[in-house]
Amino acid sequence: MWSIKLGCFCFDLNSFYLSTLLYLRGQFLPRVTAALQASFSSHSCQYKSLTSKWKYDYDLVVIGGGSGGLACSKEAAQLGQKVAVLDYVEPSLKGTKWGLGGTCVNVGCIPKKLMHQAGLLGTAVKDAKKYGWQIPGPIQHDWVTMAEAVQNHVRSLNWGHRVQLQDKKVKYLNIKGSLVNEHTVRGLTKAGKEMTMTAKNIVIATGGRPKYPTNVPGAMEHGVTSDDIFWLKKSPGKTTARLLTWCLSDVALECAGFLTGIGLDTTVMVRSIALRGFDQQMAGLVTDYMEAYGTKFAWECIPKRVEKLSSGALQVTWTDTKADQEHKDTYDSVLWAVGRAPETKALGLDKLGMQLNKETGKIIVGADESTSVPNIYAFGDIGEGRPELTPTAIKAGKLLARRLAGQSTELMNYDNVPTTVFTPLEYGCVGLSEEEAEKRHGKDGLEVFHAFYKPLEFTVAERDANQCYLKVVCERGGDQRILGLHFTGPNAGEVTQGFALGFQCGATYSHLLSTVGIHPTCAEELTKVNITKRSGLDATVTGC
Amino acid sequence: MAILIQLTRTHTPSWFTIKKQLFSTFRRHEKTIRRSMASDPSTGEPTRFDFLVIGGGSGGLAGARRAAELGAKTAVIENHKLGGTCVNVGCVPKKVMWNAAVHAEYLHDHSDYGFDVENVRFSWETLKAKRDAYVSHLNRIYRNNLDKAKIQTIHGHATFTNDPEPTVEVNGRKYTAPHILIATGGQPSVLSDAEVPGAHLGITSDGFFELERLPKRSVIVGAGYIAVEMAGILSTLGSKTSLVIRQTGVLRNFDAFISTNCTKELQNTGVDLWKNSQVTSVSKKDSGLEVTIVTKDPEKKNDEEKISTIQEVDCLLWAIGRQPNTSGLNLTELGVDTDERGHIVVDEFQNTSRSGIYAVGDVCGKALLTPVAIAAGRKLAHRLFENKKDSKLDYSSIPTVVFSHPPIGTVGLTEEEAVKLKGKENVKIYKTSFTPMYYALTTRKSPCIMKLVCVGKEETVMGLHMQGLGCDEMLQGFAVAIKMGATKADFDRTVAIHPTSSEEFVTMR
Repeated sequence: MWSIKLGCFCFDLNSFYLSTLLYLRGQFLPRVTAALQASFSSHSCQYKSLTSKWKYDYDLVVIGGGSGGLACSKEAAQLGQKVAVLDYVEPSLKGTKWGLGGTCVNVGCIPKKLMHQAGLLGTAVKDAKKYGWQIPGPIQHDWVTMAEAVQNHVRSLNWGHRVQLQDKKVKYLNIKGSLVNEHTVRGLTKAGKEMTMTAKNIVIATGGRPKYPTNVPGAMEHGVTSDDIFWLKKSPGKTTARLLTWCLSDVALECAGFLTGIGLDTTVMVRSIALRGFDQQMAGLVTDYMEAYGTKFAWECIPKRVEKLSSGALQVTWTDTKADQEHKDTYDSVLWAVGRAPETKALGLDKLGMQLNKETGKIIVGADESTSVPNIYAFGDIGEGRPELTPTAIKAGKLLARRLAGQSTELMNYDNVPTTVFTPLEYGCVGLSEEEAEKRHGKDGLEVFHAFYKPLEFTVAERDANQCYLKVVCERGGDQRILGLHFTGPNAGEVTQGFALGFQCGATYSHLLSTVGIHPTCAEELTKVNITKRSGLDATVTGC
Repeated sequence: MAILIQLTRTHTPSWFTIKKQLFSTFRRHEKTIRRSMASDPSTGEPTRFDFLVIGGGSGGLAGARRAAELGAKTAVIENHKLGGTCVNVGCVPKKVMWNAAVHAEYLHDHSDYGFDVENVRFSWETLKAKRDAYVSHLNRIYRNNLDKAKIQTIHGHATFTNDPEPTVEVNGRKYTAPHILIATGGQPSVLSDAEVPGAHLGITSDGFFELERLPKRSVIVGAGYIAVEMAGILSTLGSKTSLVIRQTGVLRNFDAFISTNCTKELQNTGVDLWKNSQVTSVSKKDSGLEVTIVTKDPEKKNDEEKISTIQEVDCLLWAIGRQPNTSGLNLTELGVDTDERGHIVVDEFQNTSRSGIYAVGDVCGKALLTPVAIAAGRKLAHRLFENKKDSKLDYSSIPTVVFSHPPIGTVGLTEEEAVKLKGKENVKIYKTSFTPMYYALTTRKSPCIMKLVCVGKEETVMGLHMQGLGCDEMLQGFAVAIKMGATKADFDRTVAIHPTSSEEFVTMR
């Protein structure tokens, strides 16, 4: 039986039909089943759990139906817990709203990757000509066709998530949740109806939302954020994506990348450096590639104001800090990607005295995702110091559910988290950046192997491969354990996953070398890398 | 450019300088110096090297270059273009063609992603010209690399002489070395006209790379990976393609999961599959070749053989296997053992039955892959010239990719092999199938299938098999981890990269 990959999860078509039927029959049947299930499972459960079932409405209430919240609630339900998940999407300033599934599904990874694919196909048309295709005329891209297809896919995912919750007997409530005390959650429906529910444990997984620069007049009135870009009804036209990189905002570059790819005139404004927190050599290659690809960059520039002209165009005024000069230009759209803020406003955390990080506003959490308030846990983007990544949220959510159900004591390991930036030239990495490795081990304590390689698909396409690069940062002594692995190139996301597994297993440089390469691929270059930075030799790969 | 610059910077090793001084009178002619080192046919005294390599393909060149780096005076004998199968008629031009075919697939998807791409025409001629130019470029790089390493290139066909000391003769000149490496590779097997009348009217994968036009009607014979790749490329680029296989599925030595899926995908992508079939004769007509095929399902014993013909075929391609290039080497006389199929028999250190003679790569008939030959050649060089006695290639867990549509990646044991080796009760299988997210917007869909073969209580992952979009680039890292002995728990502990297809391997349940 085929299952369909729905971004964050897979589900079986059989159960899809089954649960669709259940759903069509209304809420009644599942509720009965859930009750039956609860009474059955309580017999086999410990006495403590039995009392909790009587004492509280739920074993677990999860606030936030994003990647983490859904994973946590489904896992808990599968372990026999009675679970409710509360999800409510506050529309963006521009009025964009969406369904169940959180940032990743609706306004993050999924629509972004799909539009990234569109951008890559824009490049593929150009390459195809070099590969012998005669394609008449200039290629036009229709935003509406793409956006509608993306949005339809996202809606199918929203539906899929609903079905999954139904399937796994998780109570889904489309209400805005807030905390009353350590066992009580208050919910507010769209219509303003209030309800309260009690739970043995409460999990906050409300994630975050993009920020606006509050000190730029006109920014909020005239700009959009990543909450809106994937849901625009018409092409953003000549877009300027402004990027302030005091957080790990790869979103700006990714958006600018696919907008350029589908043929839009796109400028990225950067206050200081791009991809802060990532290896800066790699970040430089990513942006160099984008510049060659056609994305314009305004480095070290700070926007001052945005005004709407009578023509409807947006006039952006900015300061070039390099020359201390003021500039003006007009754009069709302005996309702000200045970072994300935790979604805590509606939660009423202050009343509970929950400890937050004053600067970021994020909830301070322990290794077991516990907050300063007993029985209340928080994880995902809302947790202080946690990576803002879907897979870590999913994994952390599952592990938390298992611990809360008393099935495991395993904690989430937030080290060794691989990630990929889906810019036109993808960048995948796991482990430490070279800078961070240097800080921890000293320059003399490192051996950095690196290579500039040319993907075979670039040769006939006559594409510049100057930014296709990889480096493996190793300990210098001993068996040269790998501290960080970095790769830019086509399919970097697919390339990196397996190496992340090797990294997790404690791979050394010799493990890479002793693995036979797969020829001709880009990934094989990682098993062939042999030039050290220290040697100063040319790291360009020649021949096979 | 970089290569040229480096060339001028290279220092000349001392032995070369001495020769240069000795024969300074001939310095006007670069080549004369080379000739002066060759043997004088009149005296029969062979030219001596430390390391003599027969075959300038992936394995031979890698071994030669590593040996030269380690200080050995080295020569490579090649009778064709440098680079061997991989560069000239294998991996490289094949992958270029596959990339071209992938573009054909993308062109179907463009409108779904919002691009108006219409009235597209394909020019095989343009592609071939660019592919050939790239291959020639690589040939030059190899040549430069040899020159840079001060390795002598001897052009011609090598034959072992009957001299007491192993000696090779090329164009009437003799060469010898204490260590001689045979890395002559292989070539596509062909059928004789006696076996199949008109067989010579067909081509092989070598001929595929000489095709000047996209065939309108292609017939590929064979079920191995070359047949699968050729059929996929031709069909995707627009040739009406039939694939004739003797049994019911392709890639029969792969995991059954892959074999079944690949057979299905070939049909899904429009390849006309002839199961239980064999070509019995080929004849030339005005409109092209007429290929006669006999089909008989062995399970239906009472059924008559069915005889059919495919008309107007302009490309009949035999992809029925490969055979070692050993003819003309005079191996029997030399005392080098070969197996019944002509492959040179070597031990784990690449030693043949005659001391001082070694073999690597396709000529040995084991794991016919460029990186295997390269690694084996280098390991041997380290053993011979760096005195690393234990230097040998580990032939276990070698990852392979088949550039089918979609590509296949596989490493380690198949389920069948694992069960046979460890017992059914000790083998646990994890599988998943899904449609990659790329296809969320497209009418064209192709599934991705994945399988882990785990063994023992620890659930050590001993096999990983997959077919789907991106599997070609996914495999390498997993191969590293599997070689390290990764268990299912290690897979589970690894954080996913979202959204990718490869993350399914670390989120499998």
